[in-house]
Amino acid sequence: MAEVVLRDLVRRYGEVVAVDRVSLTVADREFVTLLGPSGCGKSTTLAAIAGLERPTSGFLAVGGETFFDSRKQVFVEAEHRNLGLVFQSYALWPHKTVQENVAFPLQLRRIARNKQKELIHEALALVEMESFADRYPSQLSGGQQQRVALARTLVYKPKVLLLDEPLSNLDAKLRDRARTWLRHLQREVGITTIYVTHDQTEALSLSDRIAVMSKGRIAQLGTPHEIYERPADPFVADFIGTSNFFTGEVMEQASGRLVLRLADEQTITVEGGDGMARGSRATLAVRPERIHVGGGTAGSLLKGRITERAYMGARWLYTVEVGGQAVRVETEADLASGEVALGLPERDVAVFPAPAAG
Amino acid sequence: MATKIHAAPAASTGDLALPRSWRWRDPLLQYGIALACLLLVAAPILPIVYQSFIDRPIYEDGQALTLVNYANLVGAPEFREVLGNTLLFAFLSTVISQVVGLVTAILVGRTDVPWRRFFGDALLWTLFVSHLVLALGWVIMYGPSGYITGYVMQLTGGQPWNLYTIPGLSIAAGLSLAPLTYLYCIASATQQDPALEEAARVAGAGPFRILFSVTIPLLRPALVYSTILNFVIALEMLAMPLFLGGPVGLRFFTTFLYEQGFEAPVKDYGLVGAAAVVLLIVITLLVLLQNRLLRNAQRFVTVGGKASRPRLLRLGRLRWAAFAFLLLYFVFGTGAVILGLVLRAFTSFLSPLVPLVDTLTWDNWTFIFSYPVYVRSIVNTLEIALVGGALGTVFIALVALLVHRSRWRWRRQLEFVALYPRAIPGILVGLGAFYAVTLMPFLGGLRNTIWILVLIYIMRYLPTGFGAVAPTLMQIGQDLDRAARTAGADWWTTCRRILAGLIRPALLSCFAILFIHFIKEYSAAVFLYAPGSEVMGTVMLSFWAQGEAGPVAALAVLQILVVAVFVVVTRKLFKVKIYG
Repeated sequence: MAEVVLRDLVRRYGEVVAVDRVSLTVADREFVTLLGPSGCGKSTTLAAIAGLERPTSGFLAVGGETFFDSRKQVFVEAEHRNLGLVFQSYALWPHKTVQENVAFPLQLRRIARNKQKELIHEALALVEMESFADRYPSQLSGGQQQRVALARTLVYKPKVLLLDEPLSNLDAKLRDRARTWLRHLQREVGITTIYVTHDQTEALSLSDRIAVMSKGRIAQLGTPHEIYERPADPFVADFIGTSNFFTGEVMEQASGRLVLRLADEQTITVEGGDGMARGSRATLAVRPERIHVGGGTAGSLLKGRITERAYMGARWLYTVEVGGQAVRVETEADLASGEVALGLPERDVAVFPAPAAG
Repeated sequence: MATKIHAAPAASTGDLALPRSWRWRDPLLQYGIALACLLLVAAPILPIVYQSFIDRPIYEDGQALTLVNYANLVGAPEFREVLGNTLLFAFLSTVISQVVGLVTAILVGRTDVPWRRFFGDALLWTLFVSHLVLALGWVIMYGPSGYITGYVMQLTGGQPWNLYTIPGLSIAAGLSLAPLTYLYCIASATQQDPALEEAARVAGAGPFRILFSVTIPLLRPALVYSTILNFVIALEMLAMPLFLGGPVGLRFFTTFLYEQGFEAPVKDYGLVGAAAVVLLIVITLLVLLQNRLLRNAQRFVTVGGKASRPRLLRLGRLRWAAFAFLLLYFVFGTGAVILGLVLRAFTSFLSPLVPLVDTLTWDNWTFIFSYPVYVRSIVNTLEIALVGGALGTVFIALVALLVHRSRWRWRRQLEFVALYPRAIPGILVGLGAFYAVTLMPFLGGLRNTIWILVLIYIMRYLPTGFGAVAPTLMQIGQDLDRAARTAGADWWTTCRRILAGLIRPALLSCFAILFIHFIKEYSAAVFLYAPGSEVMGTVMLSFWAQGEAGPVAALAVLQILVVAVFVVVTRKLFKVKIYG
């Protein structure tokens, strides 16, 4: 029903390209997250979908209706799109009570008064805020305001729900609860949702698919699992979770395996690396918790020396020096400083061509 | 949870769809508002500019374009004198206002001078009184046959001073303008982050060192701004040059325009137009300069995050000297001038040679309330201030909403247009509107009514009102209207239903400021009033010249009273902010 289609969407501010040829299709009832650091263009993309920003060029349609098409000079204003947007600041109107806030979109739609009442009641019940109907926004906590903002958006059953970092103003505990609650709510209402965040935990736990954005482009689009396990480039590997990077020269590439030689002559064997020529440079990424301390795995072994150890509660974080490079390792084992062997499982290491200026 | 509610959410979107709305409404309103603003501002200017380039009065047939008016102006024997007088007067009064304003602001804002709270408020009082009324007060007290002048003359036996000279005039004008400087400096002085001064203190600077190396330099933007502002006001001031310079034949730009355009039996329209354009260009350049100088004012932003009170400078033994200075300034600069008006309003004759009790009378008051022109001027003034203030507030709010709360294409240009009247002297607004009404037959209905005055007053104070509304509008988070837009409200609905409620305090302030200015205004009305549409200012202006000092003083006192009552009531009842 409400599929969102973006094709080659561009938003320029003078010389700066905030959104650079973004193409994305969000299926009906799908939950897609735009994830990236600040300034990556995710909020601008969302604002363009909402109609609050006019893109420079490209195409945008929701539910089969074209909202923007630079070739046909089509631009539908935000108020005619019937989409729902929840703001990071919640943007509750301070001079209206909770009930009046929720009623406003219904009044704009000229809904009969008793039907309005019914819908407001439903929406507030959905977010468990019925008993606060007569309060003013300033009398509510951050979490409560966030729920009212959601109720105000859901009350008119928009075609698509757009969420702009809605949890970032909540404290950590509340954020966890709100996340679970939001996921339930979205499933229940069954609404196509596009979510913007810079928080990878939110993205990984909420989304059907994630679009990782960097410098105005989509760096990778995939399920949370794909994004985490098979990052498309070093940026994604580093931004989602953390990664250790090794750069070196390709010794050989054959039958789905690649052998890389590091500066200190140690070698790492990994799966993948198809099409990389012998003698070219490549970068490997491996996550701290996937490294086996003390070896004991099918894969490459690296020699290193533990230089720092930090107790994190459930596990230890070690800094291991390998060939003059600091490597982060996370494990439950309590180890003493000194020489250590690191095992890198073949399938847990991602391989990319090294950037030109390596 | 509530699965039942949204059993078929996608299907139910249908009955909650947005009504088919008229998509042309927003652009239509936006262009309409902008066009109204443009017309309002351009209507008085264009006829003046046009008049300056044609060879005969603007209403006569057979006009030919010419530059001869400018040649005549430059060649006119009085032009040099007018130019010299105006510049000297503007320069002197600006210097006086800046020095007095800065010193008083620092004393009140940053030192432990006694009674600082009282002075903090009292020094602003003259801002509520029109220059016309102040001029009358100065003449009554300090003029050649003034009350105080007479006293001093009795004591010393000779003429102690002559107010009717350029220095005398500059002192009167400078002291009347000083409160504006004070206002800008005090706002900036009390907002200074005390950490900046404390840093200097820690670095080993003494209190006076801090004052001269930190405090005053940080006031630079306020000083620059108010210097140009006061210079411009002095250039366009009519009443003081007219009353204090007129009697001895001193001529200035504005009085020259007033005489040539209003009083002269045979008017040289072209010459007046050319002089007006010259004045307009000079002031426009000054205003542009002001904007340019303050573009980098960011480096003077001193408001820190913490709301701690700045430490006051201890004056020690100088404390009472400073107090005496403030008291003298207040008593002789403001108090005496107002007192003079009050005394004159209640006496048949005011002279130190005659005991006051012998001359006390209610005659002036019974006269102004029985003589139709006076009564009409009072009623008209109140009507213009109330209705015009309300209409003006609505219009200014619309323009400000369009400038600061829309993505309308020409909003920056519109802001420039809305702020441009800052550069148009009141007397030119009146002159231009007079031409405009003469030229455009469809405006004929406005002629000789108070509605033409309402229109040009709104135009004249567009920037002032805009300044009261715009900051509040800019402080409201953009998300509030973006939320309304995505919920389905167009720009106009968002303005009406969301923003109007949020800026209500600013709208009240805007109304209050307009009301006060409309009560005080006179210069824009001199070319436009007619029998039936007199206002207090024009009545004072013309009847003073006819020697009706008593009734005019009574009218002036009444004007002060109206404003004073209004200020007190709005401050108490509606908590309206007027000036800080």
